[in-house]
Amino acid sequence: MHKAVPIRAASIVLGLLGCWGLDLLCRAFLRDSEQRLVVLAGLYVTLAVSLNLINGIAGQFSIGHAAFYQIGAYTAGYLAFFFYLQSPLQGVGWLLAMLALGMATAALAGLVVGLPSLRLRGDYLAIVTLGFGEIIRIVVQAIDLTTPAGEQVGGALGMSVEPRIRIVGLVWLFALAAIAVSRNLCKSSHGLALLSIREDEIASAAMGVQVAKMKVAAFMIGSAFAGGAGVLLAHSESFISPSMFPMDLSFIVLTMVVLRGSGAITGSVVAALTLFYVPEYLRGLKAADGTALTVTGATLVGWILAVIAAVVAVRWIAYQYRGPRKTRLAGYAATFFGALLVGRALGWAFSFFPALSGASYEVQKLRMVIFAASLIIIMLLRPEGVLGRHEFSWDWLARALRIRRPREAVG
Amino acid sequence: MAHAAGLSLLASLDFGTLPSQVVNGVLNGAIYALIALGYTMVYGVLRLINFAHGEVYMLGAYTALFVSWAYGFRPDVPPDQLPESTLLTLLVMMLASMAVCAGVGVVIERFAYRPMRNQARISSLITAIGVSLLLQYGGGLFLPQNPPPTMNERVNPYRQTLELTLVRAPQELTTAVENARQLAQRSEAAFQERLKLEKDRFNLSPEGERLRDAKFEAERQLREAESRRNTAQVTVRVGAGRLAILVASLALMFLLRQLVLFTPTGRAMRAVSQDFDSAALMGVNVDRIVTITFVIGSALAGAGAMMTATFLGTSISPYYGVLPGVKAFVAAVLGGIGNIPGAVLGGILMGVAETLVIWAGYSQFADAVAFVVLIVVLLFRPGGLLGSSAVEKV
Repeated sequence: MHKAVPIRAASIVLGLLGCWGLDLLCRAFLRDSEQRLVVLAGLYVTLAVSLNLINGIAGQFSIGHAAFYQIGAYTAGYLAFFFYLQSPLQGVGWLLAMLALGMATAALAGLVVGLPSLRLRGDYLAIVTLGFGEIIRIVVQAIDLTTPAGEQVGGALGMSVEPRIRIVGLVWLFALAAIAVSRNLCKSSHGLALLSIREDEIASAAMGVQVAKMKVAAFMIGSAFAGGAGVLLAHSESFISPSMFPMDLSFIVLTMVVLRGSGAITGSVVAALTLFYVPEYLRGLKAADGTALTVTGATLVGWILAVIAAVVAVRWIAYQYRGPRKTRLAGYAATFFGALLVGRALGWAFSFFPALSGASYEVQKLRMVIFAASLIIIMLLRPEGVLGRHEFSWDWLARALRIRRPREAVG
Repeated sequence: MAHAAGLSLLASLDFGTLPSQVVNGVLNGAIYALIALGYTMVYGVLRLINFAHGEVYMLGAYTALFVSWAYGFRPDVPPDQLPESTLLTLLVMMLASMAVCAGVGVVIERFAYRPMRNQARISSLITAIGVSLLLQYGGGLFLPQNPPPTMNERVNPYRQTLELTLVRAPQELTTAVENARQLAQRSEAAFQERLKLEKDRFNLSPEGERLRDAKFEAERQLREAESRRNTAQVTVRVGAGRLAILVASLALMFLLRQLVLFTPTGRAMRAVSQDFDSAALMGVNVDRIVTITFVIGSALAGAGAMMTATFLGTSISPYYGVLPGVKAFVAAVLGGIGNIPGAVLGGILMGVAETLVIWAGYSQFADAVAFVVLIVVLLFRPGGLLGSSAVEKV
């Protein structure tokens, strides 16, 4: 027996148990709206990991990932509308069948998009993927079929997908599958071929890598997982419309991928979760009396100035300061607490100007502004991505917990 | 079946309006070209897709709106108290838009793109997306948007429609129309005369019915003669405002061409876009050139925004720049990104293609056609129409 087999088996069992446990926990403790958030988070993780395969591992610059998500969702939507009542499969069986079909359709679309990537590179490829995403959205928006019974399906207003099947565990199992596929691909010879294409296409072609085949394969696998996520979205939300798949969604997923550092899967997952939950958290903020939380213009301006000052300070410490590591860390800490103090103080000082203290803004409306601003700030402070190249593995966990294991036991 | 569908499609097209549509497409394309110039210049110099360019355009439209309010064209003023608009008003609005956009462009470059210049290109791209989202959603906080404001149409002094006959119909068709019109008028008069003698308007006597049928027949002949004449002659109908857009865009593009080709700054710009590092070694102040590039590109976007907001009267919102921005970017890539004549060509092609799709009755696909054209062109010329697709050397 290969040495890695027990670890792999343990990982699979742990993954299954974890998803089952998550499902049980969600059903027991969470309200319906909160379960929805957990589902969406899982879908975002899937999207980020699958785009990471195309963008981070194969190095093909794709910014139209929402298209594949949409293709999956609409495949499920139309099929459910026309065939669910006659089908022998019901419930979860139907969902699994749809998952397979949605993945296949999206992979086909990935093939169509992957083909131009053979001739185009860099920004040209990016704009073609962006264009493909927009074409899909516009076409889906323009098609509204009318059934013989006179019902309208699809179109700009969207369509409802019956039945509603929301299984938190399945969504996360799918996300884990995406993670496992990309992780194992990275360790295999095919993955190495992809990595070599990312680093230098011409050199890897000279070394005998089948560049065209590998590139298209990366596109197909990545889009298949996005399509599967779309199917899960359609059946979990029970409603889909073209406005759920805007260009911004592609950008946000791309951001999740870039923030993670170069090609790292762990980072994609962490970034996806953070970027998904922070805006949702801000959306849910309420004042003590239950009304929407507002901030005055004075507080806002104070915080903006404090954040700008902090960014300048951190950049100075990171790029100009040549002191020992300890002073540097102390400097970061001082900047953090200093910014908190300065923000408070400026907010108080500005509250004496009636023009500033009079204006008030809802935090809910601020959330996308905060999202965009933090994106720029993270890029300014850590352009290599938050987690850099660090990657989670059992080995790393063991080292972190200071468990010594003989080196050979690691697969 | 498919054959019949094709025939009915052809029959439903109105070829009489085709020349007008092409001209209007070119005029729409002029705006795309102006925005595309900003993308292409920044890309040429920095190799950066400036995603925030569309938002700069949006700010230009708002600036023009605010200046027009300052002139007294506020929405709450009753129509009879509005001031008169002159060319000077328009010029002030355009200069203000250009100035604000140039300022915003420089600030974005200095504080968001310059710190990222030595990093991987994808990081600056993400920064660009961040700036774009920040301006969109920040604009949503502070700018008036509910209901979406529109520029008062009285700001535009050129509101008439110009009509230009390119090919005249043959003489006999025109006289046939004249004769038919006279006949129709005579029979109509006779019928009206008869109607006064009738007791019951709805239950005519045989003589009345005969006159009524003659009137209908004469009208039908008039319509036929007119449609024969209209197919034979070619007229172009254009709004005067759109022509003003074309004239102003051409003037700006001409200025840009002179600047790039015949000034020291322009030469430095071309040098930087050819090779950033060598240009720096040759003593070109690269930072200054990049700043100037952003000033020019953003100012062109501001001029374009002011003109669309004023002459086309579209309603302004924080998302005003998203679609024009994307399409202009596509236009820049279509022409070969980094290539200034290419951007103009791409923009005009894009405008024409879009107008023709709307003309053919597929307006719901108008936004998609830009991308279809792009993908088709890139498949055959991966570097764009005028771009160089240099063979990569190892």
